[in-house]
Parts: sequence; C-alpha cells; structure tokens
Amino acid sequence: MGQDDLIRLDNVTKTYQAGAPPALADLSMDVAAGEVAAVMGPSGSGKSTLLNLVAGLDRPTEGTVTVAGRRIDNLSESGLARFRARHVGIIFQFFNLLDDLTVEDNVLLPAQLAGASRRVARARAGELLERMGIEQHRDDYPARLSGGQRQRVAIARALVNAPELLLADEPTGALDTATGLAIGRLLQQLNADGQTLVLVTHDAALADRYAARTIRLLDGRLAAAGVAA
Amino acid sequence: MSWPRRYWLGPVRTASGGMRRHKVQAIAIGLVVLVSTASATLGLALLAASNAPFTRAFGTQNGAHVTVTVNAARASTADLAATSHLAGVTAAAGPFSESVVQTQFQGQPFGQMALAGRASPGGPVDDVVLNAGHWPDGPGQVVLDGSAGGGGPALGSTITVTGVPGAPALVVVGFGDSVTNTADGWVTPGEVARLRAPGVPQSTQMLYRFSHAASYGEVRADVTEVSRALPAGAVTGAASWLAAQDQATGNGAIMEPFVVAFALIGLVMAVLIVGNVVSGAVVASYTRIGVLKCIGLSPAQVVVTYLSRVGWPALAGCLVGVVAGNVLAAPVLHNSAGAYGVGSQQVPWWASVIAPAGMFALVLLAGFGPALRAGRLSAAEAIAAGRAPRAGRGYAAHRLAARLRLRRPAGLGLAAPFARPARTAVTLSAVAFGATAVIFAFGLSSSLSRAAASQSHSATIPVRVEPFGPGGGPGQMPTPAQDAAVVSALRTQPGTRHEVTLYGNGVKVPGIAGTVSAQAYDGDAAWTGYGVIAGHWYGAPGEVDVNTAFLDQSGLAVGDTATVNTGTAQVTVRIAGEVFDPGSEPRVFASTRTLPGVASPANVEEYDVALRPGVSADSYVQAVNGALGAKNPWQATSQQDGVKFYTIASGLVSVLALMVAVAAGLGVLNTVLMTTRDRVHDLGVFKALGMRPGQVLTMVVCWIAGPAVVAAAVAAPAAVALNNATVRAMAGTAHTGIPASFTQVFPPSRLALLSLAAVAIAVAGALLPASWAARARPAVALHAE
Repeated sequence: MGQDDLIRLDNVTKTYQAGAPPALADLSMDVAAGEVAAVMGPSGSGKSTLLNLVAGLDRPTEGTVTVAGRRIDNLSESGLARFRARHVGIIFQFFNLLDDLTVEDNVLLPAQLAGASRRVARARAGELLERMGIEQHRDDYPARLSGGQRQRVAIARALVNAPELLLADEPTGALDTATGLAIGRLLQQLNADGQTLVLVTHDAALADRYAARTIRLLDGRLAAAGVAA
Repeated sequence: MSWPRRYWLGPVRTASGGMRRHKVQAIAIGLVVLVSTASATLGLALLAASNAPFTRAFGTQNGAHVTVTVNAARASTADLAATSHLAGVTAAAGPFSESVVQTQFQGQPFGQMALAGRASPGGPVDDVVLNAGHWPDGPGQVVLDGSAGGGGPALGSTITVTGVPGAPALVVVGFGDSVTNTADGWVTPGEVARLRAPGVPQSTQMLYRFSHAASYGEVRADVTEVSRALPAGAVTGAASWLAAQDQATGNGAIMEPFVVAFALIGLVMAVLIVGNVVSGAVVASYTRIGVLKCIGLSPAQVVVTYLSRVGWPALAGCLVGVVAGNVLAAPVLHNSAGAYGVGSQQVPWWASVIAPAGMFALVLLAGFGPALRAGRLSAAEAIAAGRAPRAGRGYAAHRLAARLRLRRPAGLGLAAPFARPARTAVTLSAVAFGATAVIFAFGLSSSLSRAAASQSHSATIPVRVEPFGPGGGPGQMPTPAQDAAVVSALRTQPGTRHEVTLYGNGVKVPGIAGTVSAQAYDGDAAWTGYGVIAGHWYGAPGEVDVNTAFLDQSGLAVGDTATVNTGTAQVTVRIAGEVFDPGSEPRVFASTRTLPGVASPANVEEYDVALRPGVSADSYVQAVNGALGAKNPWQATSQQDGVKFYTIASGLVSVLALMVAVAAGLGVLNTVLMTTRDRVHDLGVFKALGMRPGQVLTMVVCWIAGPAVVAAAVAAPAAVALNNATVRAMAGTAHTGIPASFTQVFPPSRLALLSLAAVAIAVAGALLPASWAARARPAVALHAE
C-alpha cells in the first residue's frame, strides 16, 4: 500500500451464493488520500458491492480490504461499526434520512453513536448545516424538505464525524439536473478542502466533471481505469 | 373439475410460499397459539375438575348413597339380600364383611382402619377406582384407600394389625379410591374373619343407591326403610353420601376462583396476542398482496391466501397445543383427584375439542378483518399500505427523547413505540396481563401458604397428643389415669413451652339448627395461633371466639352475646372474635371455665403442645411416647406442614402463571419481530452510520422497555386487587372469612420487585429478535426492504 493510499483492495472476491458468479472477482485497486474516484459500470457490474466492502457494510469472500491504514475485512461487527463511525461517511442515492428525526437530530446521530458529547456534536452539526446552507431547516423533518435539501442533510450527516473517506452512492441519481449540479459542486468543494471522495455513479457526465479518476467495472472485474483531463 | 381446484389451491400455494419466507413469524404464531391452546385446555380441564367433581365422580363410580353397617349376628345374608328389592332402592351391593382394626406401620401406630372384604373393586354400587397395584387376590394383601406417598405406606409396604392373635401382616398391593369412603382398605372376603379381634361381633356392610337421596331427610328416610326391613338392632350405623360430598367440596370448590381467574387471564391474553400477531402478519404483507393483485389475484383469493398463511401455523399450534395441554393436565389432575378424593380425573373430551377449535376460530377471526381489508384494497394502495408507520406518529416522542440525557440508542428505542400506538397498546396489555399473572401467582401462593399455616397450626402447634395410640381400640376410652399421664409427661418434658388440653363436645345455640362444635381449652390457648378475622382471641371469662359458619348461621356478629347450652349448663357468652376455621360446621372456641360441662374426661380430644426454640419435634414426640408407654391410647405426633389442598393449589398456580408469562413473552417476541421487519431499512441506516451491535440490542430492547414499565405500573395494583378478590372468593366457597394478614402479602418493596416481572417478560421476549437485528449485516438490512 502506497503511503498516500486511503483505500486498497487486494485480490478481493465477493460471492453471495455458492456456485453463482462472483459479484467481484479478484479485484485489486487503490484510491489515494484527497482523490476523487468515480466507480462506474452497468447494473450488476459490482459497483454497490465494492462500495459496501469499502464502507465496511459487508465482508469479502476472499482478499483484503484496507481503509485508512487499517485492514477491515477481518474486523468484528462491532469493530466495523466503530470503523464506519470514525472513518467513513456514506451518502445514499435516496438519502436514507430517518423520517421521524429532525434535520438536526439526523445530523447529530452518527456523532452521538460514536460517543461525542452533545455540546461538541451540536456545534459541529450547526457548522455543517450552515455550510450546506440549510441551517434554517434544523428543526424541520425530512419530509418537508426538497430532494436537494435532503441530500445536503445527508452530506452533513456523513461529515459530522469528520471522516477521512466520503462514499457517495449515486448522490445525484434522485435529483433533477439543476439540483444534481449543485450537489456535484458541493462535493467538489469538499474535495477541494481535502476530502477523499469515492463516487459510485451511472452518470458519465458526473464522473467526468468531478472525478480525477474513473474506475470502470464489468462483471465484477476491473474494466479500465482512466484519468480525467 | 380441475379448474376450480387450481383456482382455489393456487392462492394457498402462494400463501405457503409467503409462510416459508416468514418462517420465524410462522413459528411465533404457532408457538403463541400452542401455548394459548395448551393453557385453554388445561384451564377447561381444571374448571371441569373443580366444577362438581364429586358429583361427577359419584355418578361414574356408582357411589353409595348410604353405607349401612350391620351386626351380622342379627341379620342373615338372605335378610340383607332382600333389602336390595325394597322400594326406592335402585342398586345394592354386599354384604361385605367388615372389621375395624388397630394397625402399625414401620413399628409405629398407624391408626384405626375399617377394612372391608371385597372380591373385586367393581360392582353395581361403589365402583372403587384402583389407582395403583392390583386388587387383593389372596390372604395377607390389602388395598388402601387413597394414594401412596407422604411418608405413608407404598406398594409392597407391610401393615401390621395389632390386637389380633398373631398380629397378622398385610402387604399393600394397591391403592384405590372409593368416592364415598366406604372403607379405609379392602382385603379378600375370607381375610376379614382372621382380622377380627376376639369378642368383637362380626359386622358387614351393605351399600345402596336410592331413587331419592338428595337431602339428609331423604337419606334418613331411606336408612329407616332399610332398618325396618331388617331384624331389630341389626343396623349399627349408616353413613350418608352427603357427608362425603360436604368433605370433598370443602376442598374442591375452593380452587374454582383462582382457576377461573387464570383461565380468564389466559383467554384475554390469547385474544390480544393472536390478534396482534395475525393482524401484524397481514399488515406486514400488504406489499406482497399488492404484487399478487397486480398479477391477477381476486379479493376473495387474497382473503383465502392470508387466512391460509396464518391458518397453517395456527392449526399446527392448536394441534400440538391440545396435546401439550393434555400432557400438562395429567399430573395436575392426578393431584387434583387426590385432593377431591374422587379416584381419577381426566381431561374431558369436550375440552380437547373446544380449546383448539375455539383458538383456531379466534385466529381466523383475528385475521379475517385485516385480510378482508387487504382483499378490498386496490393493488396500488396495498403496495403503499403498511410499509411504514403513518407519517407524523411518534415524531414528538423522538424529539423529546433526543433532548433527554440518555444514550442515543436508548432514546431512539424508548421513542419508537409511539410510531405504532395500537400495536404498542396491545403489546403493553399482553405484558401487563403476563406480569399480573406472575405477581398474582406469587401473592396467591403467599396467601395460600398463610392460610395453610393457619389451618394446620403446624407452626404454632408442632406436636399434638391424640387418642390413636397402640393402647387404643374400638370402643375403648382412655382412663383418667392415662389422661393424667399425658399431662404429667408433657409438663416434665424440658422442651415443652406451652401445653393445653382441648376438650370437644356438641353444644346447642339458639338460632343454629343442629349441633355446634365446642372447642374448650383448659388453659391459655392464645398461642395456638388461630387467625383472627375480627375482634380478638377470648381472654376474659364469658368470652368466646367463633368461626364464620357460626356467625353466618346464627346471624350474630362479633360483640354480640349468645346463649350456649352445654348439656349440663346454660351460659351467656360474649363473642369476642371471629377466627379462621374453614368449613360449614359452626364452631365455638372458649375456656373450659366459660363452657362448664364440656371439660369432662370423655371429651378430651387432644393435647396441643408448643416447643421451646431449637427443640426437635420428632425427638420430643419420641420422648413423650416413650414416657406414655406402649399401652397408652394417647400418642404424640408431630404436625406436618400444609394441607394437601394448598400444596396442589400452589403447584397449579405456578404452572398457570408460567404458561401465561411464556405466552406474554411470545407476544413481545412477535411485536418486536414485526417492528424489526417494519424498520429493517432504518436498522440498516443506523448500522451504516456506525451503530454497534450492542447499541442495536439496547435500542431494540428499549422499544419494549417503556411499555413494560407502564405494564408494570398497571399490573401491580391489578394483581393486588385480583389476589384480594380471589382469596376472598376462595374463602367464600370455604364458608369462612379471612384474617387481613392473608391478603396483606404485598409489602411495597416486594411489590416493586415483583413488578419487574413485566420488564423481565418484555426483555426476555425482545432479546431474541433484538440479537437477530444486532447481528444482521448492514448491507443486507439496507437492501431488505
């Protein structure tokens, strides 16, 4: 693993059912700290599986996954949970906000789960909501927000524990074009501030526009890796 | 014909697919229904057992309305046979030769026994139920009335008949029950002559059933008819079936209130849990219903599909449950039969039909409403419905919980029940009923234990001296010298703390028909430990205590005066208190000075003894009996704890409470399972955000902890009220009031501790699904919706 690599996968295979073709097959790749990498590929190519393995949401069948200098493929469920809380922020296509919590409580939640004091967490959440331009909605429930606002809440929530790695699964997939562009710019700004970002997307334009590197998957294997101009 | 078959079987197959997909829920439905059915079967069986068991046993065993004892020297076999054709006699059995003997077991006096010679247990009257062993088929064998155990003879034990030349030994070859207690044991007809003491006249017994024997008056008329038909002086005694019935129902009817209480709790629990489970299962499957409708399922098929889906596991639960109920009922009914003295009791066939059929109907009824709603929904509505809590519910609770100084998983868990208030209310009710049953069971056991101690006086009178010793015999009275020897023996024993002589005789009290049993003590007897219901134990001259039956029958109250005719004197007494002495026989307790004439040597019933601390009752008894010698009819015995009824009742209470608690726990398991299914996606999100398995476990357990605390707050007073009502109802059936101490069994600290039963039931029920939720991989949970 290179000194600057934040993510490294070595010969990773993931099989969901014995006898079935693997979702990922003998995949090796890395992402450097501060980089924006886009993972692209058709449906069933293994994009979500790759994201789950890097986020510690699932374990590989074979191979090793190292994130932020730590092997995570052999961690217990508790260890993985701690890893996710401290090192990874995840942004989902459909936001996955908790409908029964206010915007502020949604953003506070990962910090509280990680054991942060309420005062520190609230300060950090307030700062992020302001940075996302949604501080006036802190006491609203997600159902009252637009799609773009919800995704901003989701980004704030992903960043509340200041993770080294931000994973975004189709972050603009559920948004209209203009809102998608705004969210894209926000992510770009985060990267400019040093945030490592992995984007999983179908959207070639999004990848071309914001990612320094595109990792293409096909049938669970690395198809090609390109560097944006 | 094949088209309609396919048309209707298709949905059932579809449902089976759904059931396989929800194995845990199907198992949970099956288990809840199993426990509920078993509980209902046991409850119905116990209700049947406690509902006039004597009458039923009397019918099935052709009980004797009258057992007539005849001096065989005065009536021939032909005379006796002729009585079976008297008007009003519907059946007769006998003559059976009879002998009243003194016995010893393991070298110790075993008391007086009436042994009848019968060739077989059956017959047109008094069909003796053989509980164990075989009927005597040769000399030296005996079948004893009752059952083995309790330190008495067992199968193969030997009993020695004393006072008879050669002291013949009898091997116990069986145990049987005569519903009217026609004898204490049975031997072969030829054996009786060998067991008769020299000089004792030969007696026989005739057993009759009459067309009219419903009242004591009718029974007396029947006995008079038989006596007239026989030579004068032939009939030496007659026992009425009504006396045996009084004795049996005195024990049996007392069980009804708590069996009814548990049966009602079980039924309500079953309704709540099954309804919750079934409607939850249907609601959880609306999406699937929508999909099935999209591909062409008709509303009727949807209804059939969902009733089938809950019906199959419910049917399995009903079938296994009825078997389990029968298995559980067997030992309980065996004990119950012993308590009632009715030979044997079985689960009635209708209980094995009604319990599962009723429970299955209940399941279908509970499922029909939601299934019908699902059938009527449009496909789009069905897909949308039931996927998540209605928007807005529980939000305020979450907002409040977020501001409390709680760990976040605990706060999230405590707020969650508000999202599904109806489901929460039903679960809360189930937990409350379960906790009520547990608290009630503890309370009732304590109340029964206090009643048992008060009735047996085993704690206050550990030793009694009674006239059943080896020197006794039929018709033999202890002499004044033997009485004096007892008093002397007791007073010289260093272990004696208190001793008092108890005299008993019948007295007359105006206003009470028949005889009142007078219990007169020749000294201080406050230490004998009668539970005082009202007033106080007598102290001043002229004061008496009475039992509840006395007050009920006389119409008098504590503080009133009464006139007592002792046969030799008429005295006016003041009723100082009402004491706990169950039974329908009126009794009066007083000093011998208050009731002159009762304290005659012929009326000495027993000597009651209290021991100094640390003195062993058994060694004391041995010392006293050693001092009395082998020829004294008085014999000291140590008092064993408890009356058999109370032991059985406590066992029953425990079994019933356990079943209700298990059912409540399963109800919780289902609710939590349904909630985890509802919120599986949220659980995935929580995990993705870093919630650890331990935090998930905490959160899920907290889903049910809040309702459990509320359930505990409801259950505690409910159980106290239920215990009070049940104990009073039991006392009512036993014709007695009760001392306040019998119901004051819940000091605040104990009640608070017992209330934790609600939390324990809830946590136990929630732990399994909570651990499943904690172990679930976040990637799976996120995509499981």
